[in-house]
Amino acid sequence: MDLVFFAQDCINGILMGLIYGLVALGLTLIFGVLKVINFAHGSFIMVGMFVAYWAVALSGLHPYLALLIIIPVMFVFGYMVQHLLIRPIFIAERNVREPITVIIVTTGLWYVLDNLALLIFGPDYRALHPNPLKGQMLEFGQIFISMPKLYGAMITVATAGALHLFLHRTRLGRAVRATSLDRDAASLMGINQWKIFNIAFGIGTAVAGISGAVLTPFYNVYPTVGIPFDIKSFIIVVLGGLGSIWGALVGGMIIGLIESIGPMFMPSTLTEVIVYGLFLLVLFVKPSGLFGQKLDW
Amino acid sequence: MRKLHLLVLGLALCLMSPSLASAEKVVKVGNILPLSGPSASVGQQGKQAREMAIEEINAAGGIKSLGGAKIEMLYADSKSDPNVGVTEAERFINSEKVNVLTGAWNSGVTYPSTAVAERYGIPYIVPVSVRDTITERGFKNVFRIAAKDSWWTRDQFAFLKDMSKEFNVSLSSVAFVYENGDWGTGFAAQWRELAKKAGLKIVLDEPYSSSATDLTPLVNKIRRARPDVLMLVSNAADAILLTNTLADYKVSPKVIIGSGGGHADPTFLSACGDNARYIFDIVEWEADVNRPGAKEANEKYKQRYGTNLTGEAVDAYVSMYVMADALERAGSLDPAAIRKALAETDLKSGPGMIATYDSVKFDESGQNENAALSVVQINDIGTGLERITVWPKGARRTGYTPVFPMPKK
Repeated sequence: MDLVFFAQDCINGILMGLIYGLVALGLTLIFGVLKVINFAHGSFIMVGMFVAYWAVALSGLHPYLALLIIIPVMFVFGYMVQHLLIRPIFIAERNVREPITVIIVTTGLWYVLDNLALLIFGPDYRALHPNPLKGQMLEFGQIFISMPKLYGAMITVATAGALHLFLHRTRLGRAVRATSLDRDAASLMGINQWKIFNIAFGIGTAVAGISGAVLTPFYNVYPTVGIPFDIKSFIIVVLGGLGSIWGALVGGMIIGLIESIGPMFMPSTLTEVIVYGLFLLVLFVKPSGLFGQKLDW
Repeated sequence: MRKLHLLVLGLALCLMSPSLASAEKVVKVGNILPLSGPSASVGQQGKQAREMAIEEINAAGGIKSLGGAKIEMLYADSKSDPNVGVTEAERFINSEKVNVLTGAWNSGVTYPSTAVAERYGIPYIVPVSVRDTITERGFKNVFRIAAKDSWWTRDQFAFLKDMSKEFNVSLSSVAFVYENGDWGTGFAAQWRELAKKAGLKIVLDEPYSSSATDLTPLVNKIRRARPDVLMLVSNAADAILLTNTLADYKVSPKVIIGSGGGHADPTFLSACGDNARYIFDIVEWEADVNRPGAKEANEKYKQRYGTNLTGEAVDAYVSMYVMADALERAGSLDPAAIRKALAETDLKSGPGMIATYDSVKFDESGQNENAALSVVQINDIGTGLERITVWPKGARRTGYTPVFPMPKK
């Protein structure tokens, strides 16, 4: 019996962990290319969830089919944020390698977005409607698997795979990687740095939108929903290595497993202590994270 | 010299005339409420309910034993700040010379501002502030209408006992799952004592964080513990997530009972849908309470302010009638006489007595000893999901039979 429950918790931990990985993926992507920590990432997740919510509510589409709307909308949103808000600061602080001001701007963006959402949508907790995935469970005897989480985990792996292919197999992807490795050298090679930044930011935001579509079938939508996911994303990204796609998924799974298995032995609130403890440990022992680049360029 | 005399006479006449014109007496009531800041919405509810009651009382002829004296309401905004509450109480007593004080919703404001009133010997009516100790300091001038904090948990267990008897369902084990703030851990501490007394075995005692992104591990723990009764203290987002996850994993204890808060949030029903069905929740008051005048008062309030009366608003509304009743019997504006009349209150019926329980009656400490809570069940009886009062039995909605225990999922 205990083994069954252990298996149950492991499965949930891995599925939820992969979804956490997807949530963190946008953050790691944007950092990888721009070398800027996007503090508004949680708000992007929130925006993604609201876009998913409204896309489904207004069109009546299946939540995953609504990705066809969500991805372009979020891409354009991210592209414009980078182009209109962040690029001018990069240009103003051209000589600073990691402009701190950008971090402050993203923090400001976080407050603006959260409060705008509060103003427009109110503080209510919304559940996706129509939601064909609600309460869908796979049952193997005592083991229950949540279908929306299973699909979410699959979408995560597919998204990570697609990103990997994009970055390694396409010309644009190679340009993104070149910019991430050395933006000046890339510029000298004829790559338009600003265009790459815009695209990378757009992709990162679109991935936040995908995670919004994955979360809404089993999670409430409300203006501050990004905050708990934001904190988790930072831990995951540090754990897996800033800028690493697969690192984000592995980091997510580690957090998911700790959160899921931990409560078998202790109050669930104590698992947070383990998570933060691990976070500190990684910072001390391997600051670049599990899959991060050792080199600083 | 004569001119001066005339002038003085004229002046005196001028000064006297307004007081001559308003010969009827006025009762001044100072109300301290959080009208801005974090608790502003409940503060406004308290103010609206007071206004509605006072209008009714004044329109019905005011305080007859005082020659039809009208009640004049003065409001001060505490901003939920204890210091402001104390200053405003001082101001009301010394500058405004109020006859009665009421307030202040936030226990933190009520606690020190009632001490001011006690010092000056001015009666202070507390419609709702739950901290137990407010009426446990041996004060003579403080009268609380609402139930104390510890009565919520007491009544949750009383409900379990009564229902288990009425429906002949044996309950032997209980699981406590609560948010890890002051509120949740405070409730849990009281539950442990009560469970011991009730002979219920505690199979799970688990705090959790309201901002958790996944409650599945917690739900699996509940599933493993197999409790007969699941008792919850939840804020809004987590109440929804927990309810949906419990339903996903087909966890069906015989009883699930919440403690207000998230389970009473207006969005809880819409966000959980059918998953919320059959859950019980403890409340101060519900619009369907089986009490003469309640429905009419609720309709009137809804028409004026757009929402149903809440527990807080009802406490404020009833308080005004308790005050009017005491003033009527006191027949004087002497604080000691008003205090005496308040202490002798036994308000059973009449306009305004729309509370769930039978009468307002204060014990030695000034606590309304009859103040009680009621339990509602969430169910759909043909008109969509709603909260239906089921306990105490006297207040149960006519014609409704509670579903007890919850059907297995």
